[in-house]
Amino acid sequence: MTAPLTVVASQRPDGTLVLACVGEIDMSNAGALEEALAGADGGGTVLVDLSAVEYLDSAGLTVLFSHVERIRLVANPLIEPVLTISGLAELTTVEGLTDDKGEDVGQ
Amino acid sequence: MARDDAERGPVPAAGAGIFTVDDEIGRELALVDWRATPLGPPEEWPQSLQTAVSILLSSRFSMWMAWGPELTFFCNAAYRRDTLGRKYPWALGRPASEVWAEIWGDIGPRIHAVLDTGRATWDEALLLFLERAGYPEETYHTFSYSPLRDDDGAVVGMLCVVSEETDRVVGERRMATLRDLGSDPSVVRTEQEMLAFACRQLGQNPQDLPFTITYLFDDEGGARLAEATGIPAGHPAAPIVLPADDPHPVWPLAALAQGESELVALDGAPFTGLPAGHWNEPPTQALVVPLLQQGGGPYGFLVAALNRYRPLDDGYRGFVELAAGHVAAGISSARSYQAQQRRAEELAELDRAKTVFFSNISHEFRTPLTLIMGPVQELRGALADASPQVRQDLEVIHRNGLRLGKLVNTLLDFSRLEAGRMQARYEPVDLAAVTAELASVFRSAIDKAGLEFVVDCPPLAEPVHLDRSMWEKVVLNLLSNALKFTFEGSVGISVREHDGHAVVTVTDTGIGIPAEELPRLFERFHRIESARSRSHEGSGIGLALVQELVGLHGGTIAADSVEDEGTTFTVRLPFGAAHLPPDSIIAPGAAETVTAGADPYVQEALRWLPEDDGVAQPAAEVPAGAGLPAPDGGAAARVLIADDNSDMREYLVRLLRGAGYHATAVGDGLEALDAVRADAPDLVVSDVMMPRLDGLALVSALRSDPRTAGVPVLLLSARAGQEDSIEGLEAGADDYLVKPFSAAELLARARANVELARMRNHHTRWRTAMIDSLQEAFFVTDETGAVIEVNSAFTDILGYGPEDLPYAAEHPWWPDVNADPQAHALVAEAFERMMREGRGSNVVPVTHRDGHQVWITFTFNAVTDPDTGRRRVVGTMRDVTAEHYLVQRESALAALSMRVSQAVNLTDALAGGLEALQEVWRARQVLAAVWNDGRPRGLARAPAGGDWPDLPEELREKLAALRDQPPLRPVAPGADGAGITLEHPEGLLTVWVDLSQNRPFTSEDQTLLALLAGHLGQGLHRVHQLDQQREAAVALQRAILGPSELPDGFAVRYEPAGRPLEVGGDWYDIVPLSGGRIGIVVGDCVGRGLEAAAVMGQLRSACRALLLQDAGPAQVFTALDRFAALIPGAKCTTAFCGVLDTATGELVYSSAGHPPGILAHADGSTQLLEGGRAAPLAVPMGRPRPEARCTMPPRSTLLVYTDGLVERRRRPLTVGIDEASAAVQAGCAAPIEALASEVMASLTPDGGFSDDVALLLYRQPAPLEVAFPAESSQLAPVRAALRDWLSRCQLAPAQMQNVLVAAGEACANAIEHGHRDAPGRTIRLRAVATGSGLHLTVTDTGRWKIPEPEANPHRGRGVALMRALMNEVSIHPGAAGTTVDLQTRISR
Repeated sequence: MTAPLTVVASQRPDGTLVLACVGEIDMSNAGALEEALAGADGGGTVLVDLSAVEYLDSAGLTVLFSHVERIRLVANPLIEPVLTISGLAELTTVEGLTDDKGEDVGQ
Repeated sequence: MARDDAERGPVPAAGAGIFTVDDEIGRELALVDWRATPLGPPEEWPQSLQTAVSILLSSRFSMWMAWGPELTFFCNAAYRRDTLGRKYPWALGRPASEVWAEIWGDIGPRIHAVLDTGRATWDEALLLFLERAGYPEETYHTFSYSPLRDDDGAVVGMLCVVSEETDRVVGERRMATLRDLGSDPSVVRTEQEMLAFACRQLGQNPQDLPFTITYLFDDEGGARLAEATGIPAGHPAAPIVLPADDPHPVWPLAALAQGESELVALDGAPFTGLPAGHWNEPPTQALVVPLLQQGGGPYGFLVAALNRYRPLDDGYRGFVELAAGHVAAGISSARSYQAQQRRAEELAELDRAKTVFFSNISHEFRTPLTLIMGPVQELRGALADASPQVRQDLEVIHRNGLRLGKLVNTLLDFSRLEAGRMQARYEPVDLAAVTAELASVFRSAIDKAGLEFVVDCPPLAEPVHLDRSMWEKVVLNLLSNALKFTFEGSVGISVREHDGHAVVTVTDTGIGIPAEELPRLFERFHRIESARSRSHEGSGIGLALVQELVGLHGGTIAADSVEDEGTTFTVRLPFGAAHLPPDSIIAPGAAETVTAGADPYVQEALRWLPEDDGVAQPAAEVPAGAGLPAPDGGAAARVLIADDNSDMREYLVRLLRGAGYHATAVGDGLEALDAVRADAPDLVVSDVMMPRLDGLALVSALRSDPRTAGVPVLLLSARAGQEDSIEGLEAGADDYLVKPFSAAELLARARANVELARMRNHHTRWRTAMIDSLQEAFFVTDETGAVIEVNSAFTDILGYGPEDLPYAAEHPWWPDVNADPQAHALVAEAFERMMREGRGSNVVPVTHRDGHQVWITFTFNAVTDPDTGRRRVVGTMRDVTAEHYLVQRESALAALSMRVSQAVNLTDALAGGLEALQEVWRARQVLAAVWNDGRPRGLARAPAGGDWPDLPEELREKLAALRDQPPLRPVAPGADGAGITLEHPEGLLTVWVDLSQNRPFTSEDQTLLALLAGHLGQGLHRVHQLDQQREAAVALQRAILGPSELPDGFAVRYEPAGRPLEVGGDWYDIVPLSGGRIGIVVGDCVGRGLEAAAVMGQLRSACRALLLQDAGPAQVFTALDRFAALIPGAKCTTAFCGVLDTATGELVYSSAGHPPGILAHADGSTQLLEGGRAAPLAVPMGRPRPEARCTMPPRSTLLVYTDGLVERRRRPLTVGIDEASAAVQAGCAAPIEALASEVMASLTPDGGFSDDVALLLYRQPAPLEVAFPAESSQLAPVRAALRDWLSRCQLAPAQMQNVLVAAGEACANAIEHGHRDAPGRTIRLRAVATGSGLHLTVTDTGRWKIPEPEANPHRGRGVALMRALMNEVSIHPGAAGTTVDLQTRISR
């Protein structure tokens, strides 16, 4: 059984492509995330919304790292330490759930 | 162990087979109807009884034993022989109380004491009146009763090792009496004193001599009462007088007068109301023995009443006869003392008369002498052709006539000189010619002596006035003197003129005269004691006379001498006649012939010289003439004659041979001494004056040597002075005879002395016989400790006889200092004590001449020899080897039993037993091998160490060879050790005692080895049974203690107080129930050991069953109350019972009087589970059992325990509970198993727990353990399970996420890398909570390279995450798989 993960692609009014992930990301389903990212080829930055992800490990991080040039992340406090520790937070913009939180981390 | 010994062969078949150990007793034992005894048929006898009987029968020591409820009697051959007497074989198999009914009052309590206490008894020389010979008998026994145990170790019988000491005790008593009889010869003055003394000694032994009466025969043939002991004066059995004409005398006078002993029954009229002596009943018999006199009728007789409790055997009869002999000897010695007194007085009177007579009439000798010498001279001529014997006799008469004449003449010359009546007639003579002529008559004698004779007499210018006969005496005396003292060189005489004097010198190269003697040389009767001369004949007046005679001539004489060079006498005579009385001067003209006066001198001188006429010197011994009776009718007495005068020698030899003696003769004292030492004669007749060694010195030399001290000496001397005879007697001469003596007088004295000596020798022989008859060894030492006298018992005990006396210290029976230094030191110390303290007793080991060791007790006493005043030690000695070994055996048995009983298992017991054996024999080592199926199954050794393969081949062979021996039969093939075989629970045990030195392994040693081996075998069987019990107990314990597999999260400890048993009354139980619930029980039954364990097992099982039926704790206890009431010993059991929901940590519990559980929270606080408490099980309490609830917070720890953990003497229980709480808190960070060890360690008191302890620990939550296949799809469910567990650990969400990710990374790595080549293999995740943190491990079975982040950033990312998220990460790659350890702390 793979870990439960749903990736929903949408587009914000400003045209930003959004990939909203719900569930857990581990080795068993990182490939699904990779496919979603690869398919979201809008020419601009993709916003990966991880705010509903309860679990993220190095398999998911590896996928995110491979697209680090063109993604921005929205994270939640639960997975934030992982992003910080892995150094991903330094390479891309990470927004919090809230706007003001997002500003703090989105430098 | 199954006893499948059948194929092992030499094991004796059970049952009657054991009786074959001893043919004699065994046969009778086999005939006993054992079915009629409580012991039943031998086939069914327990091993212990068989062993005991086997030891008994194989022992050569006297033993009996009793076994079973009736104390059934067994004994061995030695006991039968020594003690049982007529009761054999009746006694076998009977109750001991029946066998020994007559002494049961004495021995019964002792036997029961042994049976009750298990301790051995010891009695020494106990008096018991046995009825084994048909009458009550006075007997003495030294014995020990030791307990006999059955196969279960219970005392069911006893073994008696006994040595009968009757002979020794009775013998010592009699010996003491005989010794006392001979103890004080100084009292022997008068007959009455002697009898009183002797009877005092007899009276001191009222056991063997209840009373005694001593009668002396009177002249009329009747007898008169002399002394009595133990019987009142005036008793009809002891009348004052027994008249000769009494037709019915009280005592058999007629037989006694004939010297016959008689046994008299003491019944009838005169014997009523007799005293009993030492005993309760009066004597029934008396032995009447004569007091025998050497060579005469008895002096009287001794009535000795007899001990009715002892048989009149040879020993008893001999004792009475010896006692009587001593009384008789005392009478004899008292009477002969009186006789000697009388004779001494008579002799003194005779001497006085003789002196008067001699001085009055000596001048009358000349007439008879002349009348003898004249006819003899004629006869010599007339009988020139007669037989040699006649001529020899004549020559003797002639020579001695001459000598006597010369002596008489000289004496008369003196008396004339004294009286001034000497009529000298001086005539002018040619001094040189006269002197040379006189000298010439001596030439033949001097030539015969082998000396050069230098006569240098040139004529002088003028004559000298001389009385020729006087001058003759001067010259002959001087020459005779020179010859007497010169043994080589020359004798010279010269005549010169010097300073107006004629000077005559007589020189010799003889022995010379000591300078201090020269001034007294010419004193009358002064004799010079010279070392050497041709003869000691002489009166001491020769030179005095010479000086007187020279003085009459107006001349002087001087002597000049150098010792060992020679002597010169110088006579100076004036010329002319002016110095002489004118009326005595006569005209020249010969008056007498020279030879007439010279002959006695020459003849005398010739007799000094060696014989050449065939008379042997010493004279050849010839048998006594036929028909001449020997002095006492036996063998002819032998007499040695010592005299330097050969005539006297020959005369005495002829005289004594004529009287029937064997007479031999020697020429001086030294020869006599040699002859006596070579073969002591019955009498020595010795002259006092002899060259080399005189008579007095000879007597002293004889008396100082014990071998010759008893030889009587009769001294002969020409000196009649009283002082001389006293000197002779003081020197130790037995008699003294003054020359001249008559043949009859000499023969009378010789006869008296020989008889006296024979009587004395008889005395000595009697004394020797008495000493030899002692059962105890007897010895005498001198002041240096050298043994100078021994008796035959001494020789029996030590093997050293009187023939090699004296034995100087160190005596040859001392143990060898090298082979046995300890024994040597013991003897040396005892010897030193004997010499220093002079009185005492010692027990020491000594070595018999044949090499075997003997233990002796010797008792000694210093005395002073009344004759010499020298210190002597007199001792007796007893062989106590048997007693020594008896004691040794008892202590060895005790030591062995102790060692074996202290052992905790079979190996220990065997090791202890071997050590005991090693100590007993001080062996180098003791080895034992267990054999099974013919192969060694193990080796035990004392001292410990080594195994079968390490043994030298020689010892292995010895142990192997022993297998063929029947059990309990010692084997001692050489001097290097001994072996024995016995039964071991696991096979056959062969034991080899390897002695440290070459010493004999005696029969006592063998008996001891058999005894010890028997006990060892029994001990091993007992220990084996204990072992089996213990094994059963341990198995039982395993069955009834808690579960061996615990659910995760639990730890337990169990510590029984009663070692070596490993079960007790405490228990714990953990019962998994449905729905993740777990039942927890800790309980404590009253008591400890096996009984408590049995109760505990039932309660535990019941409790478990109740829990499994989903009963709650209160229900469980309610049911258990009823159950426990039915089980003896279960009442008052305390217990804690709880049901724990591991998911929630909820605990429902109840306590039946049990100490409260302890709940240690993760925050450091502690809670006691004090709710739900009620009385212990089966104690009525009138209300329902309560229950309490609590919830174990995450990471809290529960401790349930029994009071043994916390209860200490003199300390409130709460203190212990606090200690336990603190211990749990202190270990909250430790895993639960480690925590259990820490709690036990911190609470164990010094010296260990004194009560059983059980404890149970649980930490909430229980560890998580997940196993899953190595597939990525498994990650999510594993993560869900972990998340759930972590939530029960009450972690903050962030930390929980950290742990989830870290664990997820570890699992992902295991799936991705570890099982790359083998997907689907199992991965395990385990998570454990402690009070302060979490510990996770992920284990796979693959190899797992540590990724290098630089080379592979993706791979390294997971590990980096783990390290960042956890406090500690470690990866342990291994051949079997890789383990990842993750730890994180939880802040409180």
